[in-house]
Amino acid sequence: MTMKRPGSLIHATQQVIKPQLTSLIDVMTILLVFLMTSFSAEANSIVPAKDIAIPLSTAAEAPEIITTLQLSKSTVSAEGAVIAAISGFENSDSMIIPELESWLQDDKRAGKDEILLQVDKDLSFNIVKRVMYTCSNSGRNKFTLLVRREN
Amino acid sequence: MHLMFKHSRKPSQSIDIIDVDVTPVMNLFIILIPFLISMVVFTHFAVIRFSLPANETGGSATASQKPVLKLTIVLDNTYILLTHGETVIDSLATTALKPYDALLKDPLARCRQNPQFTDEVIIASRNLVTFESIVKVMDLCREAGFSRIGMTNATEDPDKGV
Repeated sequence: MTMKRPGSLIHATQQVIKPQLTSLIDVMTILLVFLMTSFSAEANSIVPAKDIAIPLSTAAEAPEIITTLQLSKSTVSAEGAVIAAISGFENSDSMIIPELESWLQDDKRAGKDEILLQVDKDLSFNIVKRVMYTCSNSGRNKFTLLVRREN
Repeated sequence: MHLMFKHSRKPSQSIDIIDVDVTPVMNLFIILIPFLISMVVFTHFAVIRFSLPANETGGSATASQKPVLKLTIVLDNTYILLTHGETVIDSLATTALKPYDALLKDPLARCRQNPQFTDEVIIASRNLVTFESIVKVMDLCREAGFSRIGMTNATEDPDKGV
């Protein structure tokens, strides 16, 4: 017969709960590997407009920050501000877009005659040629086209 | 007299199970992953440089200068013409089954090897051709070795010439 001593403490078995971290480590490792493959040290300095579907291309040259014209399906914008509606000039007899011409005249950046065009891939050449003609008429003869890099 | 019976372990069971401390690894992950998430880029952009032909820009070509003949690709929604001045080098019909790279790859490669042609090509497009098609042709020209690409408008009236 075992006798308990009065006042003795019963040592309850304490169970230490250890969370299972193995699965979490597995997920973190896979996520880390994926993020490292998508990591890019060069920042995207050009942010295309949301309503423009940029065409795919095999070009590899990185873009620079220069005067940008954005040609969506409905408008011509510059630096985020709408300049002209395409419906207003697409069937015009004149190749010059007056609103764009006046904006280019106001935007005389010293030594910069290059223009970056963000063109929607489904836009017809008729619109693009009018924009290019207006730009060249204002002395901007060098064009750069923004494209999405094909993998 | 107390007889204490101790359960004696077998020698093989006397090895302690080592718990790996994953806390430092988790700390590292918690720092690295938000940093990498902020730097991730899913879409890469590039640029294509092109120019307008010299006789398209106002005042850059005088009447006394003869225009230099360059390889010209006339783009229409139903056909592609490769021309050099008044000479038609090749005429290709475009269909949904024949994408541009299948049609233009070999003719452009042959033209590039011809010493008659420089490394410059002009893409003359009709009004209704989409810009995506023009970019594809630009890519094919660059892959064929034409480093300078110009863009111009093709006349809509075939009677006036290509």
